[in-house]
Amino acid sequence: MAGLLADQVKAAPEDEIERLGTDPIPTYPYYRQDYYELEVAAIFRRSWLQIGHVCELLEPGDFIVRPVEFANVSILLTRGPDSVIRAFYNVCTHRGSKLVLEDAGKQRTFTCQYHSWTFGSDGDLLAAPDFQRFYVDKARCGLRPVAVDICAGLIFVNLDSSPKEGLQDFLGPMAERIKTFAVARATSFSEYVYDIDANWKLVIDNFQENYHLRIVHARTGGRQSEDNPFGYPTGFEFMGPHSAQTMPMSGGGDVKPKPVQGLGMAKIVEFAAADGLLGGPYAKDYCVIFPNLFVFGSGMSPFSLHVTPVSAGKSRGTFRFYWIGEDDSASKRFAREFVTMMMRDLHAEDRPSIENSHQGISSGALSHIHFQSQEVPCRHFFHAVNSRVEEYQAALPHKHLTT
Amino acid sequence: MSGTTKRLPAGFEQLEPFVAQWAVQGTATRAQLRGSSTEADRAAFYDAAHDILPKALAYLDAKPLKDFDEKETALMNLILSLGHVALSIEIQGSEDAHHRKVRTHMRITRSAADRDV
Repeated sequence: MAGLLADQVKAAPEDEIERLGTDPIPTYPYYRQDYYELEVAAIFRRSWLQIGHVCELLEPGDFIVRPVEFANVSILLTRGPDSVIRAFYNVCTHRGSKLVLEDAGKQRTFTCQYHSWTFGSDGDLLAAPDFQRFYVDKARCGLRPVAVDICAGLIFVNLDSSPKEGLQDFLGPMAERIKTFAVARATSFSEYVYDIDANWKLVIDNFQENYHLRIVHARTGGRQSEDNPFGYPTGFEFMGPHSAQTMPMSGGGDVKPKPVQGLGMAKIVEFAAADGLLGGPYAKDYCVIFPNLFVFGSGMSPFSLHVTPVSAGKSRGTFRFYWIGEDDSASKRFAREFVTMMMRDLHAEDRPSIENSHQGISSGALSHIHFQSQEVPCRHFFHAVNSRVEEYQAALPHKHLTT
Repeated sequence: MSGTTKRLPAGFEQLEPFVAQWAVQGTATRAQLRGSSTEADRAAFYDAAHDILPKALAYLDAKPLKDFDEKETALMNLILSLGHVALSIEIQGSEDAHHRKVRTHMRITRSAADRDV
């Protein structure tokens, strides 16, 4: 019975399935070091990548420092006296020493601990001992900027010194969608993080299909409706390299009757409604922003997942729950902590499956893997990655990957 | 002087035996405590507290969080821990011991509840 009903749940549109094909997908891109290095060059060094949120830089003088391991760089993000958010390589322009050693803080100037070159939060070199002995103008010694832009409160950087397109063009219709989410008005967040011994794409793929929901999240995945017993998405949209799925269970009507969970969920629904986060056209949308960010439109579970590639076989998943306004009542504090911990239980369950996938795929036992029609976002994502890698590779003079 | 040993507001005396173990500050500490406690400790706390949760929230909601005194803060921390324990009792059930090993990898690095600690 359940199988028959599940078969009736809408799959991706036929024209999208036709466009993306139905052939098996090769495995080597999911583990090989040479392919990973091409991805870093072709995608991560030239795409807009989320690196923070404006609530981390609320006031002039606030700064954060973020490592970007795959590029071996550290990025300094500042909010200047003019309230503008800027991004720089966290490197003193004198002799290349790492400039700011703290992770975050509030200060208007940054002094290198090596020879005391001092920079403003706008990147200008303000002072340096014995500067008259150098053979360069101060005006040419500012911190090296990194392209930065903001959408829906999310701060993105692009390591390309002249990005081929701006952030808004890159996001396309995704931009308007995420502006309706909690993240766009968030003033704080809760966060949990795990390291995963798996290629970054296997992490991404896990989080863009619900096929595993009934198996891996049998207890935590929530009760599904009779006409969609396995919790399949009920809609798919593809927007350039990005995609969105309509989730079946984020409408607030699926509260289990268990006492504490029931009360926690009822409270979070109440606060989401007060914040105007329920019932909007995108409130069930689960968005995949290429290459490595998920943002969920549900006001009850307003989370993002940022997947950091660390190496060909190692990744990090950072989950954030975005909140509008501080905890100002006991019920709000209880509801936020409860829903965050409930989702932590669920998200934690994916790690062993993802690591097992990596172990099997990286063994080389299989030349190809298979995606069904409900896994079409995985197929779409593979093509988005691979087309960029191939385009980059084609432009290289002599380097060709042997498959 | 009978109230000198009371750590919770009046009306929540049934929960006094659980304060020492469960009324702890910090989301990550509460998550860790859920994992390190015994099944019997979690069951005893849950059985005593889950019916009182609505009353506790209603009581605490009468005051802004920032004005909580020591007893109200203890009650708040106690019911926050109840939320963690409820995930083991209401959702994980007999699978909780296995699930603990899985969720240990998920480090809590920031929490809204810790912002004023």
